[in-house]
Amino acid sequence: MGKKTVVPIGPYHPLLEEPEFFKLYCDGEIVKNMVWETGYNHRGIEKLCQSKTFEQVFYVVERICGICSTSHPFAYANAVESIADVEIPLRAKLIRSIVGELERIHSHLLWVGLAGHFLGYNTVFMWAWKYREPILDMFEIITGNRNSYAMFTIGGVRRDITAEQATQLLKLLDDAKIKVDLLTGAVMDDPVIHARLKGVGILTAKDIHDFGAVGPTARASGVKIDVRRDDSYAAYDMIDWKVITAEGGDVFAKAEVRLLEMYESISIIKQCLEELKKTEAGDIKIKVKEIPPGIGIGHAEAPRGEVFHFVKSDGGNSPIRHKIRAPSYTCIPTFRRSCIGGTISDAAIATAAVDPCYCCTERMSKVYDYSTGKQVMNGAELIKLSQQKTNELKVKNEGMKL
Amino acid sequence: MNIEKYIENIKAKFPKIIDVKVVNTKRLMIYISKNLLLETGKYLFAELGYRYIIVTAMDSKEGIEIIYHFSDDDSGWIVNLNVTISRDKPEIESLTPVVYGVEWIEREIMDLLGVKFLNHPKPETLLLAEDWPKGKYPLRRDFVEEKN
Repeated sequence: MGKKTVVPIGPYHPLLEEPEFFKLYCDGEIVKNMVWETGYNHRGIEKLCQSKTFEQVFYVVERICGICSTSHPFAYANAVESIADVEIPLRAKLIRSIVGELERIHSHLLWVGLAGHFLGYNTVFMWAWKYREPILDMFEIITGNRNSYAMFTIGGVRRDITAEQATQLLKLLDDAKIKVDLLTGAVMDDPVIHARLKGVGILTAKDIHDFGAVGPTARASGVKIDVRRDDSYAAYDMIDWKVITAEGGDVFAKAEVRLLEMYESISIIKQCLEELKKTEAGDIKIKVKEIPPGIGIGHAEAPRGEVFHFVKSDGGNSPIRHKIRAPSYTCIPTFRRSCIGGTISDAAIATAAVDPCYCCTERMSKVYDYSTGKQVMNGAELIKLSQQKTNELKVKNEGMKL
Repeated sequence: MNIEKYIENIKAKFPKIIDVKVVNTKRLMIYISKNLLLETGKYLFAELGYRYIIVTAMDSKEGIEIIYHFSDDDSGWIVNLNVTISRDKPEIESLTPVVYGVEWIEREIMDLLGVKFLNHPKPETLLLAEDWPKGKYPLRRDFVEEKN
């Protein structure tokens, strides 16, 4: 019988408002059970929001997550504007969609890079992150910031996109598309990546429904849900685009969905920029004097899935209750179904497949001997194990190379 | 979704429903008493196949208000079950046996508002530290923050 070990992964993951700590109980190579703990970095943002004015809350929720720093304001704006029952100008809707889609591209590129790193494809990591840079430059052009864009406000957006900026953006987008093509080709045609990701961490449509998982995680299992289409907001109902789904539910399907979604995002941004020409410059905001008593429920499709905000107002200056649910809150639990029964070298990529922040994992994870509690392996070695498996497959697949 | 007909149907199916209201565009609020929760939750989640989103709980004037959010992704409507329980004896049946994903949010509400979920499979703290003082709930109205 193999040595029984406990592998703790975590606990610090600065991406989410709920950093997670996984304990994998392994028998030899096989993951037998998994325990999840959280609360290490609970910042009390919901409570904090109740002490800010409706306007200030935008800048608080923007800082929930560094990568999704538009998705939270997006959902919050939808919630608050539904209480106030206002319709924002068309130009503001288009600008919101442009920022939202740029965020999706940069977030998916970031994921592809990290997934590459876990598999031992550091070239993919370098490329993806290099190609992500121009996307951040685009943010800087239109919002003034590479991150935490502070673009949204109640009743519209805070900055306009000028004609020159639109031209710059179009050029950068064309360049970005070539790069995405390169990356997609490299990932989708690689026999080792196929061998490494297909059939790993499978989630069925029933698993998705049980846990309420959303976004690319759900769409990769053939569940066609997307808030942008189902409960359309901003400019998404005026634009021609489609929801990308894949069958299989494995990590490869999730990668496929994310790669193909980037094309949709590029196309949405281009159409929005075209529509922007037809609207009057400067008409980006309407004045909302007060938020009446009532409740507002807003959601938006973030790169990782649906972000959900519930706001209750009593007619005063600040919300009296603000509930926030990030997509990872329902996606993380799916690890239980995707990791148990798999090998430990697949656990790293199966957990990374729903796109939690993983940058701290290599510092924090250690393998302990189950009986003595003595450390036998650290995080870097765990990733090495994952990379080693890819290398072995590479050698096996040598004959398949051109 | 024909909303008038929908409301009529759901009222006919569960005559004990207190009230059904459209709160904003595409948002429906169903007010129920706590002993109707499992039945209605099962109907929305398992029979109609709605997607579970999250549960919101708050300390309001009437008591502790718990709202279960479900999404009908075909029509884009969000259907909410609203249960108010008394602040003196905050107990309610756990929805986890029906909706698997509810487990953690119920533990979170347990931590932050001190609601007891009956028949919860793992009633342990989720967010707060293990040495957090018992009986202090950060999202209750009477919670006073201690300055260090």
